[in-house]
Amino acid sequence: MAENFLLNGFEKFSKDRARWILFITSLSVILITLGIIQTLLFEAISFFKQVASARGWFTLDLEFAGLTSQTGLSAVIFLLAFTAEYVSNYKPEKLSSIPEKALFPPKLVKNILFILAGISFLFLNSGLLYISLIVILVMWGRISNNSLKQGSADSEDIDNTVLYSLGILSLISLFFAITTNYGGAFGEFFFQTQWTPTGACADRRALCENMSFGVNSLLLTTLQVAFGALFIAVPLGVGCAIYLSEYASPRLVAVVKPTLEILAGIPSVVYGFFAFIYIGPIVVSIGEFAFGNGWIDQPPNILNPINGALVVGIMILPLVASMSEDALRAVPNELREGSLALGATRIETTLRVMIQASLSGILASIILALSRAVGETMAVTLAVGTVAVYTSNMFLPAQTMTAYIAQRVGGDLPFGEIGYLTIFAVGLYLFVITLALNLLGNKVLSSYREAY
Amino acid sequence: MKKDVDLLKKKSRSQRDIVEKAGSAGLALSGLVGLFFLVILVWQIAIPTVIAGETGTIEPASEFIPESDYVLHWDYPNIDDQGNVKADPIILELSWDDGQTVEELEIKVVSQRGLTEDVYIDENGISTSEVEVGRKTKFYLKSSLTEQIEVKQISGPVPAADETGAPTVSSFVVSIDVDVLVSEDGIVFQPIELAGYAVLLVTMIIVTKPSEKSLAPLQKLYGKDKHVRIGSIVLAIITLALGGITVSSTLAAIGWLLAGIMVNRTTEGMQRLEQQGRTLKEVDRLKHSISNRDGLLMWARMLLFASTLFIPLAIDIPFLTERYQDIFQPYSSGIRSAFFGTIWVMTIAMVVSIPVSIGAAIYLEEYAAPSRTTKLIQALVTNLAGVPSIVFGMFGLAIFVKQGGIGLGLGPSILAAGLTMGVMAMPIIVLASQEALRSVPTSLRESAYGVGCTQWQVTKDHVLPSAMPGIMTGSILAMSRIMGEAAPLVVVGAAALVLFDPEPLAGIFGGNVNFTVIPIQIYFWTSEPEHAWHSMAAAASISLILLLVAMNSIAIILRQHFRKRLNS
Repeated sequence: MAENFLLNGFEKFSKDRARWILFITSLSVILITLGIIQTLLFEAISFFKQVASARGWFTLDLEFAGLTSQTGLSAVIFLLAFTAEYVSNYKPEKLSSIPEKALFPPKLVKNILFILAGISFLFLNSGLLYISLIVILVMWGRISNNSLKQGSADSEDIDNTVLYSLGILSLISLFFAITTNYGGAFGEFFFQTQWTPTGACADRRALCENMSFGVNSLLLTTLQVAFGALFIAVPLGVGCAIYLSEYASPRLVAVVKPTLEILAGIPSVVYGFFAFIYIGPIVVSIGEFAFGNGWIDQPPNILNPINGALVVGIMILPLVASMSEDALRAVPNELREGSLALGATRIETTLRVMIQASLSGILASIILALSRAVGETMAVTLAVGTVAVYTSNMFLPAQTMTAYIAQRVGGDLPFGEIGYLTIFAVGLYLFVITLALNLLGNKVLSSYREAY
Repeated sequence: MKKDVDLLKKKSRSQRDIVEKAGSAGLALSGLVGLFFLVILVWQIAIPTVIAGETGTIEPASEFIPESDYVLHWDYPNIDDQGNVKADPIILELSWDDGQTVEELEIKVVSQRGLTEDVYIDENGISTSEVEVGRKTKFYLKSSLTEQIEVKQISGPVPAADETGAPTVSSFVVSIDVDVLVSEDGIVFQPIELAGYAVLLVTMIIVTKPSEKSLAPLQKLYGKDKHVRIGSIVLAIITLALGGITVSSTLAAIGWLLAGIMVNRTTEGMQRLEQQGRTLKEVDRLKHSISNRDGLLMWARMLLFASTLFIPLAIDIPFLTERYQDIFQPYSSGIRSAFFGTIWVMTIAMVVSIPVSIGAAIYLEEYAAPSRTTKLIQALVTNLAGVPSIVFGMFGLAIFVKQGGIGLGLGPSILAAGLTMGVMAMPIIVLASQEALRSVPTSLRESAYGVGCTQWQVTKDHVLPSAMPGIMTGSILAMSRIMGEAAPLVVVGAAALVLFDPEPLAGIFGGNVNFTVIPIQIYFWTSEPEHAWHSMAAAASISLILLLVAMNSIAIILRQHFRKRLNS
């Protein structure tokens, strides 16, 4: 039997040798992916093991007094609002057990709540509390409306996504409010904010007490740069795409498109040079103006996240523009012509038909651009700096995840020491973030490709 | 309204052609602009600005100088090649006690590296009045006084102002004469190579747009096919003999041969035209009577674009091909090792990635049944293309560079870098090739099956040839994209300072593994504090962009040529 199988296999192989060779080449893709995941996972796990051997895996100090803090209070209010909304949505018959006075209170109570919200906005640091008060007012109003049309409750108009994200948000902020300290390998890595992987230690190679691995310091800067870049690239890119596909004359398209291609073809290190030499001083002069007026508490540095966000924004602009333009062009011409035939003006056609029809494609381009911005390395290393700090002041030098890897690996790193392992832990985190974004983006992309 | 609809229709019809044409024109134009900037930059570098022998003052650092917190560092002081001070020595005047106590400190900069000596200030005054400091080193002024000390520079070169306001002297320019355009042996200029390119350009113009005037001299060549052929071969051999077997002379030799063939074909076509009883005034007819005109033109164009890469070799810009990095003198540095490193890394990446990725693309498009494995591979390819480049670098570090585990232990060598880059280019090439294969019409496949071809024959003889332009374009564009990537190579371990030509196989056979590429060189030069290095980084950037533009232009020429052929 086995002989037969082998013989058959060999016959098939010799008959269609090309097929098997080609199949093996395509298997290399799987091998590469497995290799990437294996290396990242293997080294990251040994990093966590080393840290855990000294500090344990995960520790959590709970402090329920944290509920009375601003964050805790707002989380509780959010949770209340969420529960009330859920009940009114799915069990409208229970609303009858609530006394009518609570549902339709005298105006005074509502006014007092509004005044409270205003005061919290003016005097408290936590904007969350202010928002939570507003949310509970809105919920109150909606529940009152629901109770009016009891029996025929049309819950269709209430958006479930908002509800669920509100619930998750409130749970997360509750968790943060009642926890005072996160320790252990995972707790430190994912929740703490101090990133000092070298520490002030006698032996920098081994793990010591002064080292701290709170990756949020790097993550914050990464997100600042990435979202700052989107802030620049999305309006410009989508606007450019709309103009190119809907308004521009072929001759203009012929000029603008190659320019975008050239912009996309410039190496990232050249963009970094550009940021370092030209954008940095401009940002510093803006920062000095802000510092002079007392808006920021420390003088600006030439290396800062704003600088990085600007340059990464320019870098991902061609990606957003070309992908959005593809999405707009994929919309069938009938839709455009139909809208025009119905008497809509051009701008109405663009805004109400074309953008609506290609929204998922534009969204996909934004998600993929975000992933590109998160993974961008050289430009960010040159523009943002190499000091890992956790600060919201975007005029100070900071460090992104990719920049940390590039900077740390620049020295000669011996195999297996703690510094070598940290870059893999950070790399794995980065890989997971970008992979999630890419999967999401490609899914959205394929959905709009299916639609047309 | 009607106008709108009409415009839309017209747009969709003519847009693609115009985009293609203007795209190549735009690229060529940007290449020229880049060349112009390069010339300007090289001109500026050739005449370095010298600020030597002037005097000036430095503002005091702060109210109070704490101990060992006061750094002066000179990186590129005004000394010449031999280490002799050309201008006055740097003399600092230190005063405190409201100007009652004044001391002078003379700083001599010598060529020895790493030499440093700290200066202490206490109640008795400064510990020494003369220090010797090596190039690119720091020395510290340490004070144990509570008063503010004013530091004034009364002699020596004027430093540029520092952004932090501290009197950090870091911007002296080396006052030596450097000629970037001319190497030590004078201009290395190979006229015969340039003439080869020029002749090729002229014949190309004649064949593209034949006119009566330009054709008239060619009439003399009727019946002299052999002479032209032998002449072109002889010229090619002379070029090779004079220039040696280098890339530029080989290209020029091929240029001579190609020009000879083109001239012969043109005269042949002219004769054929006259035999048919037509005159040379009908130049449009001539275009069709020249056999294989489009193919020749394509090769000529590609050769000319390739030679734009190597004309620097022909006229020999030392910045690119002769000078290694000089850590002391920015203006006499070059990117020779980075240039050759880039070429080697790209070669290895190409050899590794292109066959494998084209194979994978053919399997996925032509052979694979829509099974779960296929879907998985497809998803992996799509997502691998979006993985950050630095993650590929870490993959290369763990698999190719380090020894132990599953590491191959190639060290931070060109081989490891090339393999890493090849892995990175793979998903991009697979996606582009798939796109190209998908655009081949199904009718082509079906008709091939209809006459009894096997699957491999269909793929090899019918699908691949018509998908080839797309595949080649995709591969070249992927290569040009990874050519500008520095992040993976920083992780793999490209060195900041390489003072020799890279050895591509050092990872296996031993030898010096250090290497660098142009983007890495730009990165490290940008990180240097002196402004002089920044202009070198700009020059290197322009060189890199020119390389990329040349590669992309080749891709565009290929695409246009094959598209025209497929359409006709």
